[in-house]
Amino acid sequence: MAEPLAPAASDDHDHKPHGWRRWVYATNHKDIGTMYLVFAGTMFFIGGLMAMLIRLELFKPGLQFFDPQFFNSMTTLHALIMIFGAVMPAWTGLANWMIPMQIGAPDMALPRLNNFSFWILPFAFTLLLSSLFVPGGAPAGGWTMYPPLVLQTGASFPILIFSIHLMGASSILGAINVIVTIVNMRALGMTLLRMPLFVWTWLITAYLLIAVMPVLAGAVTMLLTDHFFGTTFFTAAGGGDPVMFQHIFWFFGHPEVYILILPAFGIVSEVVPTFSRKPLFGYEAMVYAVASIAFLSFIVWAHHMFTVGMPLAAQLFFMLSTMLIAVPTGVKVFNWTATMWKGSLSFEPPMLFALAFLFLFTVGGFSGLMLAIVPADYQYQDSYFVVAHFHYVLVPGAVFGIMAGVYYWLPKWTGRMYDLKLATWHFWLSAIFVNVLFFPQHFLGLAGMPRRIPDYAVQFTDWNMVSSIGAFGFGLAQLLFPYIIWKCARSGEHVGKKAWEGAHGLEWELPSPPPYHSWITPPSDAVIARGAEH
Amino acid sequence: MQPHTSTAPAAPSAEDPRRRRIRRSALLLALIAAAFYFGFILMTLVRGWK
Repeated sequence: MAEPLAPAASDDHDHKPHGWRRWVYATNHKDIGTMYLVFAGTMFFIGGLMAMLIRLELFKPGLQFFDPQFFNSMTTLHALIMIFGAVMPAWTGLANWMIPMQIGAPDMALPRLNNFSFWILPFAFTLLLSSLFVPGGAPAGGWTMYPPLVLQTGASFPILIFSIHLMGASSILGAINVIVTIVNMRALGMTLLRMPLFVWTWLITAYLLIAVMPVLAGAVTMLLTDHFFGTTFFTAAGGGDPVMFQHIFWFFGHPEVYILILPAFGIVSEVVPTFSRKPLFGYEAMVYAVASIAFLSFIVWAHHMFTVGMPLAAQLFFMLSTMLIAVPTGVKVFNWTATMWKGSLSFEPPMLFALAFLFLFTVGGFSGLMLAIVPADYQYQDSYFVVAHFHYVLVPGAVFGIMAGVYYWLPKWTGRMYDLKLATWHFWLSAIFVNVLFFPQHFLGLAGMPRRIPDYAVQFTDWNMVSSIGAFGFGLAQLLFPYIIWKCARSGEHVGKKAWEGAHGLEWELPSPPPYHSWITPPSDAVIARGAEH
Repeated sequence: MQPHTSTAPAAPSAEDPRRRRIRRSALLLALIAAAFYFGFILMTLVRGWK
């Protein structure tokens, strides 16, 4: 088997299409990965703008700027855009870029399907955003789309359902591609337990996607037929059961949370060893912990709906199974900590984001444990405490994970180092303001402020003001992110194939930037073994 | 040392089984997804009839 060579050796084979055809007809995993990441970034700022409008309205009590219908549309669209438009496509973008390079494959297994699953997304989200301009306004019943409320949506209802179907189709096709690639395209010698953790977490995520995205699609199809074709799946008047929708939705919804967070576990498991200059502590335990978390995610869904009423045995089962998730999650947190123990630590931006992830995701995990306790959940349900909890999991969790990944691999993608000082500023502003934004929401929730309301009682004013100031600060800080990337791509200092001293893995055996077609000749066993020093 | 980007395509006969595996595993996964989609609709229908 051949050893990889210096960049110059690859130039004569670096053919690529030019102009718009390169992107519209893209089948190269790196191009599609870039498109996913640009799309996710765009959606992050659109969804973020909606978050700013929400926090603007909530800055003080009373209706300031918007009518309640528009406010509810903002909360609904913000969630749908951030989950399906920003975080999931960002992970798929990172998967497209990194999985083939990390397993020694020349590309994804199904490149044309890859192109198709990406190009569905701009249509889906243009459609969803177009609902802002139809009579009756955009969907406002919340991203959970509970009937009977969602069935009262006006002309935007079929738009919502169709766009959800499109997002689901894109995710399923992307997941099929990831699994097929990992199962069939690994270089000889890249055994399952040599795979980087990012590949492992994505493999498990892809299985979750295939199991639960069709369930969401089925649920919204039934909503569609209830609305237009006279069925009564979820309409009590016709013998249907609206609570059944909640069960089906959360059978999708809880694994979805892990779909959003598992790849972040993979990124942190790459970043922490690199900047600790030590192998990952307990590699196999990490793999089994991720698999356990994925399995448990299927048997905890009803903790989202304790207050709709269920038998005591069911309450106990879902409470205890939810608490059980803390065990494999604890394994991961302790393993990351043990990886750092006596390591030669340095604090470049990817490490800073990974460390913030470690602390703040754990905060979100602890508030999740509080919510898992049935009698306590009766108090917290539908309050701002829940908003604080899931934003701690998703912003300093999933979003910081994405940022850690981008800052980790950006020198590999561009062949240039970004402005480390500016990226460190980006980190500190994000880390401070994210806490100013979300931590007070715990207090608001515990004091009884309900979620999804455009106005509130005066006693909640102070913490709402603090939270809104945090939101504006966090939002402004994010403008640094595209600027740092743009500056890096334009004028960053050139880096060698191994941008970070402590990095291991096949991607670091390729030149920076990697050739348009990489690993056409698979890596040798020696190269794989060197990269797999977990 | 050889360039890792050199065009050294594997013989078609060696490539074919992998292509077949890829096609089959993709179809199997698509079928699983379809089964979850129709299965949940069917389950709700059956439950409604009881």
